[in-house]
Amino acid sequence: MSLLDLLRTSWRGALANKLRAILTMLGIIIGVASVIAMLALGNGARAAVEARFRSLGANQVQISEAMSFNDGQIEQAGEILSYEDGLLMSEGAELVDHVDMSIGASGKARFGRATLDIQISGVTANAPENLATAGQVQPVGWPEGVAFTMNDLLADGRFFTPAEVLEKAPVCVIGWQTAIDLFGGDDPIGQTIRVNRSRCEVIGLITELESVDESERYRSDPNSVLFMPISTVIDMFYEEEPSVEITAYVTDESRMDEAKSQIKEYLRTRHKIEPDADGEYIDDFNLTTRKDILGAQQEAANTFSLLLAAMATVSLIVGGIGIMNVMLVSVTERTREVGVRMAVGARSLDIILQFLLEAILISVGGGLIGVVMGILSIPVAASLNQGMALLEPASIPLALAVSIIVGVLFGIYPALRAARLDPIEALRYE
Amino acid sequence: MSGTKAVIQTIGLTREYPMGNITLKALRGVELVVHQGDFIALMGASGSGKSTLLSLIGLLDRATAGKYFLEDVEVSSLTRDELAAIRGRRIGFVFQNFNLLPRFSAWENVALPLAYRKGEFTTDEQHKRAMDSLSRVGLAARAGHQPMELSGGERQRVAIARALVTQPAVILADEPTGNLDSATGNEIMNLLDELHAEGKTIVMVTHDASIARHASRICIMRDGILTEGEAVHVAA
Repeated sequence: MSLLDLLRTSWRGALANKLRAILTMLGIIIGVASVIAMLALGNGARAAVEARFRSLGANQVQISEAMSFNDGQIEQAGEILSYEDGLLMSEGAELVDHVDMSIGASGKARFGRATLDIQISGVTANAPENLATAGQVQPVGWPEGVAFTMNDLLADGRFFTPAEVLEKAPVCVIGWQTAIDLFGGDDPIGQTIRVNRSRCEVIGLITELESVDESERYRSDPNSVLFMPISTVIDMFYEEEPSVEITAYVTDESRMDEAKSQIKEYLRTRHKIEPDADGEYIDDFNLTTRKDILGAQQEAANTFSLLLAAMATVSLIVGGIGIMNVMLVSVTERTREVGVRMAVGARSLDIILQFLLEAILISVGGGLIGVVMGILSIPVAASLNQGMALLEPASIPLALAVSIIVGVLFGIYPALRAARLDPIEALRYE
Repeated sequence: MSGTKAVIQTIGLTREYPMGNITLKALRGVELVVHQGDFIALMGASGSGKSTLLSLIGLLDRATAGKYFLEDVEVSSLTRDELAAIRGRRIGFVFQNFNLLPRFSAWENVALPLAYRKGEFTTDEQHKRAMDSLSRVGLAARAGHQPMELSGGERQRVAIARALVTQPAVILADEPTGNLDSATGNEIMNLLDELHAEGKTIVMVTHDASIARHASRICIMRDGILTEGEAVHVAA
């Protein structure tokens, strides 16, 4: 029989009992739809995580203090990560080009009668550049997809220089909202404000910013900020040497691992960390690169995928058993038809293909409906998952391929049974 | 009996069914020769082996022993699929219960044997041949109807058209009037007579003597052994 004739025959067979076909498809429909929806959830979560960590450049190593648990308390594992650790890092670790350091403090800013409780960021001179490349904020109304530089971020004045950072200069750069709160509409540049009683000259004004990610906009206000040199903040707010966050910029992206071991060695020397009895170092710091984060994310995604695969397998097997069941009933019901077809010249393969195709049509039909249902369910899934669901395009051909495989796997036995019927007995079957 | 070439020749055809400890001997060495243009009626009581013989002749079953030549081809060593191919080309079946496929139109039922001859006939050719065959049995006007919409006589005509569509070497009819009333049965027998008159070879199983009288030769099966009956001719 030609493929077209076969398809037509199998199509009629599948449609002979429409309600039964639909009910049989149900398992496949649910299985495929949930696969599509769940892959979309995984895909959405991955996209969200990737967007969040895009800020960590490929040539950056994030250095933070290691924490340890002691009697249920989180405490510092060893020495703090000091300003000086960062300052000297590019000398101690050859592959480190420069470092970026930051520290936070909260204080009061005052100008004339206006007083403001404010988060103060102590940063190094390249902070605005990082702000520009991090990709989390942008000037309000900035066209999508267009890059901007640190100059686009400054509305007026300038940012502090490396020299000013080193000499703890009493200068600051303020955000758009901070300027409005302190100065009303007046020009803030050159004015002296008081930050916790110390005098501080406003040398720069940052343009009005917004979060790139629209869903983040209501959460944080990037305009109520006050930047000061990190050394100034430490001097002004801390009596003891505080911990800082350090980001090291590596000269060569392809030698990240080497750079990490250089930084490790440098910090171990400075913190006087000796190997224990087993020759293992117990470091009081953590080094993180983009690769580390993506690797961890990948691992989580793989675990998730495994779980999904298990669920999908169960629902598809149940669906497949349903198909096998219906096909066995169908073969029995149509025993005489099989006998007639054999009598007029159908070979074993013709009979096998007819019933196999019928099973595949049912499973692929279920698969197609399942794909549609799955796509329709994505907005629902997204609303349950903080908007994180994104159709994984590869899931559609995957779902259809799986439907075909289920149809073949569970249709082959009934088809073989039909083909093995004895023509005489089949013709006599009542 | 015509003196032309033998379409069917069996030598010592034996068919045994193992039934637990005993062996049922349905055929005990049947010798049958059917020549081209013969119209043979196989008669006998139920259980006499006439249906078994028809199944063997129709290649639906295999003999336990003996030889069967269909158009001079010894078929006992052929595979299942080779037998199916020969059935589809050289044998036309007419059953007591018609055995048409439900949900398929009359012409599609008639075209079914052609559909299984891969690549030989396009759908158009299948339709044309099926229509020719339906015209021969006087049912061209009903070609688009499904079996459910046809009377018993019409259904059997469709079945005969299906048997004719491949121009087979022999038409095997198993109680072709068994499910029909006598008037309709007569119409079907008249049609078979006409086909016989056109030179078709027919082997028919019946237990009805009045039906058997349409045949040119009557063979009687008794306990698995075939005996030649008298040749009778009844005018159509």
